[in-house]
Amino acid sequence: MIKRERQWLLLLILAVLIAFPFIVGALTDSSPTGVPRGDRMIMRGESVRWQAVLIEVYLLAILAMSYNLIFGFTGVISFGHALFFGLGGYIVGLALEFTDLPTGLALIVGAVGGLATAALIGLGIGLVSLRLRGVYFAIFTLAIAEMVFIYFGRLQLTRAEDGFAITDLPTWLDPTQSRLTFYYIVLAIFALTFVFIRRLVNSPTGAVFKAIRENEDRAGAIGYNPLTYKLIAILIGGMLAALAGILQVILNKKVGPELLSVGFTVDPLLMTIIGGAGTFVGPVLGAASLHLLDTILREQVVTIGTTTISISDSWGLILGLIFIGVVLVFPQGIVGTWMHWRVRRQMRRRAVTESPGQNARVLQSDHEPPDRATSID
Amino acid sequence: MAQFRKTGGSWGIVISMIVGLLIFSFVTSNNPGTFGITVLSGLFQGMLLFLVASGLSIVFGLMDVLNFAQGGFFMIGAYVAFDVHHPGGLIDLTNTIPNTDIRFIVAVIAAVIVGGLIGAALERGLLRPLYARPIFQLVLTFGVSLVMIEAVRFIWNTTPYSWTVLFGVREGYFTLLGQQFSTYRLFVIAIGIVLIVSIALLLQRTRIGIIIRAGVEDSAMVEALGINVRAVFTLVFTFGCAIAAFGGAIAAPFLGASIGMGSNFLLAAIAVVVLGGMGSYVGTAAGSVLVGLAIAVVATFSSEYLNQPVWSSMTPMLLLILVLLLRPSGLFGERR
Repeated sequence: MIKRERQWLLLLILAVLIAFPFIVGALTDSSPTGVPRGDRMIMRGESVRWQAVLIEVYLLAILAMSYNLIFGFTGVISFGHALFFGLGGYIVGLALEFTDLPTGLALIVGAVGGLATAALIGLGIGLVSLRLRGVYFAIFTLAIAEMVFIYFGRLQLTRAEDGFAITDLPTWLDPTQSRLTFYYIVLAIFALTFVFIRRLVNSPTGAVFKAIRENEDRAGAIGYNPLTYKLIAILIGGMLAALAGILQVILNKKVGPELLSVGFTVDPLLMTIIGGAGTFVGPVLGAASLHLLDTILREQVVTIGTTTISISDSWGLILGLIFIGVVLVFPQGIVGTWMHWRVRRQMRRRAVTESPGQNARVLQSDHEPPDRATSID
Repeated sequence: MAQFRKTGGSWGIVISMIVGLLIFSFVTSNNPGTFGITVLSGLFQGMLLFLVASGLSIVFGLMDVLNFAQGGFFMIGAYVAFDVHHPGGLIDLTNTIPNTDIRFIVAVIAAVIVGGLIGAALERGLLRPLYARPIFQLVLTFGVSLVMIEAVRFIWNTTPYSWTVLFGVREGYFTLLGQQFSTYRLFVIAIGIVLIVSIALLLQRTRIGIIIRAGVEDSAMVEALGINVRAVFTLVFTFGCAIAAFGGAIAAPFLGASIGMGSNFLLAAIAVVVLGGMGSYVGTAAGSVLVGLAIAVVATFSSEYLNQPVWSSMTPMLLLILVLLLRPSGLFGERR
C-alpha cells in the first residue's frame, strides 16, 4: 500500500511538472506558448524547447513502463517491443495521411486502429509463448520485429526508408502550433499510465504476474494458467507501447522505419534496467535520466588540445559505457540500489538502538538486498 | 552416436529443406550457370555465418551467455585484416612483406590475435562478475558492441572500405557450366568445411572437448569434478571471439569492411543458432548451411522474378519463425 507521505511526494512532483512550462518561461523570460506570427505560432524560446524534451521523456517513460510490465513484473523477456511502438505510429500516420477522412476522425480511427493492432499482435505473439520459453521466446519476438522492420524499410507505399511526414493534424494537437496543450495531454496520459500500472500490479492479477516471474511452474501448479496471465501482460504492455508510438509520431510529425528498429526495443530495456526492473518509479527514472543525458550531452563539445570533438558524434560510445558501468556498478538499477542502501541503513540503526552489543556483527555482515525489488512502497 | 540417434528426425527436416531449396532453385533458374552461382554463394554465406554462429553457440551452450558483441568481433576482424593488408592505415606492411599472399595470411593472423585478445579481456574483466545474472550479461555485451562500433569509427573512419589489393586466390576465376566463378568463394567454402570438421573433432576426441561438452550439459557438475570451469569459460569465449574475427578477416576480401557488417551478420547468426537448437554444435553447422543456401536461393529468385531484393534479408528470420513453430527448441535442441 502506498504510504501517505510518498503519495504526497508523487503529487508534488506532478504539480511541479504541471507548472514546469511556466517556471522555465519565467526563468528564461520566454513564452510557454511560443511566439505568435500572424495567425500561426512559432515554436521559439527555452520554454517550448524544454516542453518538447519532457514530452519525449514522458512517452519514453510510458514505453519503458509498458516494457517493465512484461519484463520486470511478469518476467517474460521480449526483444520485439519496437514492433508495438512502431506499428502504433505507422497506423496513426497511415490513417492521417493516406485516408480521406476528416482530420479529427482520422486521428481517432488511427489511434483506435493502432491500439487494436497492437492488441491483436500481442495476442498472436502471446499465444506462441505457449510453446516457446525464455531465450527462444525472446529471439522469436526479435525475429518478427526485425522482419516487420525490414518490410516497412522497403515498402514503397510508406516511402520506404525515408518515411513520410504528417502534415494533417488538428491545430489544437499540433506540437508545432499548440505545444503547451500537447504537453498537458502527454503528461496526463503518462500520469494515468503510471497509476494504471500501479493499480494493475497491486491487484490480484498483478500478484499472479509476480508469481509467474518468480516461478512459472509453481504458479501453474497452484491453479493459475500462466499462459492466460502472460497473455494479459503482453497484451496490455503492447497496447501501452503502441500508445507511446502514437504520441511519438504526433510529436515528431514524422513516420519512418526507425520507429520499428531494434533501438526502440533496447531503449526501454535499458531504461528499465538502469532505473530498476520490477519497480514502479524505476523505468520513469531510467527514461528521464537517459533522455535528459542524451539531450544535454549532445550539445556539448569537448576540446582536447587543438582538436574539438562533438559529443553527438560519439553518443554511441557514451551510451555503451553507461550500459557497462550501470550493469557492473548498479546491478539493481537506481531504485534498487537506493532501496538496498536504505535497508542497510535501517538495519544498522535498528542494531544500534536494539542491542549495542551486536552492533559490530551487524555492521560487518553484508546484508543482501531483497532478491529482486518488488515495489518502491 | 547416441546423440545422433536421439535427434534423428531433425536430420530429415534439414536434408529435405536443403534438397527442396536446391530443386526449387534449379527449376526456377534461367540457366545452369545461375543455379551454380546461387549454390556457391549460398555455401559461401553459410560458411561465414558458421564462423560467427559457432562461437555464439558454444559460448551460449557452455556459459548461458548470448554474446551480442559477436558481430563486433566479425567487424573488427575485417577492419584489422584490411588495415594490415593495405598500404597506409595503422600498420603498413607493404614494404616489409611485398608478397600479397603472405601478407594476407599475416593479416588474417593479426585479426585472429586482436579478436582473441579483446575477447579474453572482455570475459576476464567484464563478464566474469556477472555469471549469476544472465540478463545483465546480455545488456553488457550489447553495450560492448556499441563501444566497439564507436572505437572502429574512431580509428578507421565511417566510410566503408572495399578490398583493392588483390592476391592469389582472390584474383583467380574458373569457368563451370558456362559461367565464371571467383576461386575465392571456393577457398572460403573449403576453409569453412575444414573448420567445421576440425572443431567437431576437437569437441569429440580431445580432453578439452570432453570438458566443454560436459560443461554444456552441467557446468556445476564439471566444477564438482575438480575441473577449473572458469578457465575453460575464458578459453572458450576467447576462441569464439577469435573465430568470429577470423570470419571477418576472410570475408573482408569479398565484402570489404564497414560499420554495419557486424550487426547484419549477428542477426542472421542468432537465427542460425536458435533454429539449430541452442548449444548444439551439429545444429549450428547444419543451420548455417541451410540459412546460407536459403538466403542465396531467395535472393536469386526474388531478383529474377519479383524485382525486389527485400525478401532475402528477411529469409533468416522467416526460416527461424518457421522452425520454431515446428520445433520449439530448434532443430537439434533438447526438448525441455
